[in-house]
Amino acid sequence: MPPPARGHGALTPPSPRGVRAAVGRVLHAGVLMSAAILVTGYLVGLVGQPAAFGSHAVEKAHLAGRASFPHSFGAVWDGIGRGSGEAIIVAGVLVLILTPVAGIVTSAVAFARRRDWLFTAISATVLSVILGSFLLGWLSA
Amino acid sequence: MTVVELSLVLLGVSILAGALGSLLGLGGGFVIVPVLTLVFHLDIRLAIGTSIVAVAATSSAGAARNVTESITNLRVATFLALATTLGAVTGALLAGVFDARFLFALFGIVLAVSGAQMIHKRRVPEVKEPIPGLETVGMHVGAAGGAASGGRMADRLALHSAYYDEAEGLDVPYLVANTGLGLALMYLAGTLSGLLGIGSGVLKVPAMDLAMHIPMKVSTATSNLLIGLTAAASAVVYFARGDIDPIIAGPVAIGVLLGATQGSKWLVGIRSDRLRVLFVGVLGVVAVQMIWKGIG
Repeated sequence: MPPPARGHGALTPPSPRGVRAAVGRVLHAGVLMSAAILVTGYLVGLVGQPAAFGSHAVEKAHLAGRASFPHSFGAVWDGIGRGSGEAIIVAGVLVLILTPVAGIVTSAVAFARRRDWLFTAISATVLSVILGSFLLGWLSA
Repeated sequence: MTVVELSLVLLGVSILAGALGSLLGLGGGFVIVPVLTLVFHLDIRLAIGTSIVAVAATSSAGAARNVTESITNLRVATFLALATTLGAVTGALLAGVFDARFLFALFGIVLAVSGAQMIHKRRVPEVKEPIPGLETVGMHVGAAGGAASGGRMADRLALHSAYYDEAEGLDVPYLVANTGLGLALMYLAGTLSGLLGIGSGVLKVPAMDLAMHIPMKVSTATSNLLIGLTAAASAVVYFARGDIDPIIAGPVAIGVLLGATQGSKWLVGIRSDRLRVLFVGVLGVVAVQMIWKGIG
């Protein structure tokens, strides 16, 4: 079912406006959620460790790559439980990284609902490549 | 500087990077990496990890708006993501095998060549009138020129579309060509993205604009979405390696999100030719920077 064309004799868009709007909403929600988590994490860190945030030495350690911070899903989860600002910031970063993936999932569902099996399969392949890279990350860590 | 002062400076730089990045369909890594390494003397590893976060932020913030404004071609983005994500995984695997200086120099040369091409290119005029006999998608692609090899693949995949140009005030239909070549270039772009932690929009936009004959504005918007998908395919590898420091990446992510939101607002009202001039200028600066880093 082709969507109605815009303007006079314009090419029918291959993807309906509704799908684009849904993908746009998912991306927008991901961005807002991640921004909220990032700001929360920073404020939690600032309030919880005022000495570290006002420190010249800590700043130098971070720029020199000598600082330690959570870099596994387990460590981030544990850190959030302890109310660590750094762990919450990392969680915000992870939400940001996963936002485009959520966008492509939304678009894949829409392709499937329109019975566009070719593009459902293409979307599924893209998703499996990205999931494969996550496994690669775990294995290389 | 204290941590708070560092955060504020990073926030400012990142707002600028995000605005430029989303305006041009780039990841913003071309601002973040040089600033972090050259100005703050940050470990290159952490600069790249931070950059990939900035890339994801620019992409999602810009793409959210472009997609809703119907500039982005979702089918082209999905199809080309096959190549960019596979490339990103390849790049992550190859990281460490190649000499980084050689890669910087090579990348700089590729950028300089793309920039030169964009200046000298004799533009195929974008079709403003409805194409006769092309009311539905997927019909034969004949007269519109440039529908050489790959035109049939684009037909099969129904990649042709139209976008609403706010500056011109009308719908602009376009035909997609050279799909195979575009796919190959996207694989290369994805590999460089995975290897260097950049969005490589500087390669993705010309691949769509020059090779596939997709209008500049659509190429830029579609590149925005593609960059995020490509970044996702390598960012978790960087995260697991411990290359994403929240004290640096956090303020950068917030700044880039702010800048990218503003940048994509400007994109909707801007004319394609002005965007192209700005793009070529940025390309030249980044090319010199990259080559300098390779031989310096």
